[in-house]
Amino acid sequence: MSAVISGLKNKSYELRKRVLDMCVKAQTGHVTSSLSSVDIMVALYYGGVLKYDPENRHWDGRDRFILSKGQASPLLYAVLADVGFYDTAELDRFAQQDGIFGVHLQWDVPGVELTSGSLGHGFGVAAGIALGAIMDRELFMTFTLLGDGECYEGSIWETAMFAAHNNLNNLVAIVDRNYLCVTDFTENIVALEPMEDKWRACGWNVKRVNGHSIKDILEALEFVRSRRSHKPLVLIADTVKGEGIDCLTNDPIWHGQAPRGRDAERARVCLLTRQNDE
Amino acid sequence: MSNIAQRDAFWDKIYEIAANDRNVILISADMGAPSLDRFRKDLPTQFVNTGIAEQNSILIGAGLALKGKKVYVYAIAPFITLRCLEQIRVECSIMNIPMTIVGVGAGMSYQDSGPTHHVLEDITVMRSMPNITIYNITDSVMAEAAAEMSYSIKNTTYVRIDREAFSDIYPANTDFTSGAAVLKDDKDCYLIATGSMTHAALEAAERFEQRNLHVGVIDIYRYPINEDFLTDTLAGVKKVVSMEEHFLPGGLGSAVGEIILDNALPVKLRRLGISHSDGFCYKYGGRELIRRQYGLDKDSLDRKIEQFLRD
Repeated sequence: MSAVISGLKNKSYELRKRVLDMCVKAQTGHVTSSLSSVDIMVALYYGGVLKYDPENRHWDGRDRFILSKGQASPLLYAVLADVGFYDTAELDRFAQQDGIFGVHLQWDVPGVELTSGSLGHGFGVAAGIALGAIMDRELFMTFTLLGDGECYEGSIWETAMFAAHNNLNNLVAIVDRNYLCVTDFTENIVALEPMEDKWRACGWNVKRVNGHSIKDILEALEFVRSRRSHKPLVLIADTVKGEGIDCLTNDPIWHGQAPRGRDAERARVCLLTRQNDE
Repeated sequence: MSNIAQRDAFWDKIYEIAANDRNVILISADMGAPSLDRFRKDLPTQFVNTGIAEQNSILIGAGLALKGKKVYVYAIAPFITLRCLEQIRVECSIMNIPMTIVGVGAGMSYQDSGPTHHVLEDITVMRSMPNITIYNITDSVMAEAAAEMSYSIKNTTYVRIDREAFSDIYPANTDFTSGAAVLKDDKDCYLIATGSMTHAALEAAERFEQRNLHVGVIDIYRYPINEDFLTDTLAGVKKVVSMEEHFLPGGLGSAVGEIILDNALPVKLRRLGISHSDGFCYKYGGRELIRRQYGLDKDSLDRKIEQFLRD
């Protein structure tokens, strides 16, 4: 493993621990939904994919990152603090009386582009921004992270068809394919597979990646600004809900609650063990 | 007096504005009109067709607005308000991303198309959310003015357009900034109407006048209602009748009633509109016939108003 990737993996563990601490302290927040997205977010924010400037957060040339799965807000809040949009002390006030943010994403937080929590919105707004950039011949890219459960929303497919038809090749969607929804696995609820075929049928370029391999994600996005295709790109990133904390993975009960007491301690130990085993 | 369709008056003005400002973008959920054909032909880079996908049209509009565009989203009124209500709530109301939502087919103006195309709930629903201004258009002069106003308004505006080409009641260059107008003055009693029913109210007042019964007419064309305007106008007034081609819960009559209650105005209110018990309309044969089912035709209005005035 290269030193760069190794450093990014360490960042992933640091962020996982941060998300767990935030949610345990607040006794709320979507821990497992955040954990499945950690490696994707590390690739985007720390792997040199996204252009952003915490010192000039309204910079016109910044890439737009739209977190469409707004329930992963603890993760984005932790990332934005860590890269310098605001003080990391703010994370201790997650969902607290004196804090600036809560369980779902809100756009007045520095570095956040869009309020999100209701699903099926961010993706369409991201496509609108990408269309505006093409109209204005601006070169920034728009990235958006969707949940796989979010793909049940009909508006996702309205936007998917629209984005391909309008050749929004400056739009990149990443689907966090963790297979787990609020109550059950997606393939038991209403099957989402074959996901690649669905996106391809809508006119998108599709890549399927291991969503916990930062190396794979970075390779998939390496030439994202100079693609020859006119079509938008979607990465279907296979992930595990709760990745990094084995005692929280693949159990729908942990979708909307933070572990407390012994469960919280066990989760911390799980995370540490996993990190030491790497 | 002209009788230009409100739709054409609105879009002709937007065409004029857009021709001088390439940041004006028109999103159509596959709706057409002669004035839109001209827009699409002459300003193709400013015209976006989302297909029959209202949710996406609001989302794309929000993204374009975040990119600094002046966005107009157009479809049939029930679809561009109710089908994509949650998109309007999150993007336009909660986030206050500005755009102009244009819905054609106010009330039962898609006369013989049946209840899917009638819209009797949109004023209630749209006025329940913060950061949204409604213009319920009365005539083509107002439609053109609404186009101009929407260009400079900083929050989301819902422009509710009737399909019927009524005779204009406002003179050219009328100032519409107050959101309401006294069309006929009276000191004791007013008919307070909105949209197409403003024309019915004026006609009713005229018929009463011929019988030496005096009643004033107020047109409420903007929501939230200008409270100062209404409380000032109703000072000393004893009775008001609200008139709307809309379900009663939450509509014009409710909005007027809220102001009367909040300000403890000593005025009696009778609401004329469509009650839920009257149900949806599967009658055909034109608007006046449809209105008869709901007791909103001329004869029924005259009878109900006169009875209330004499009580």
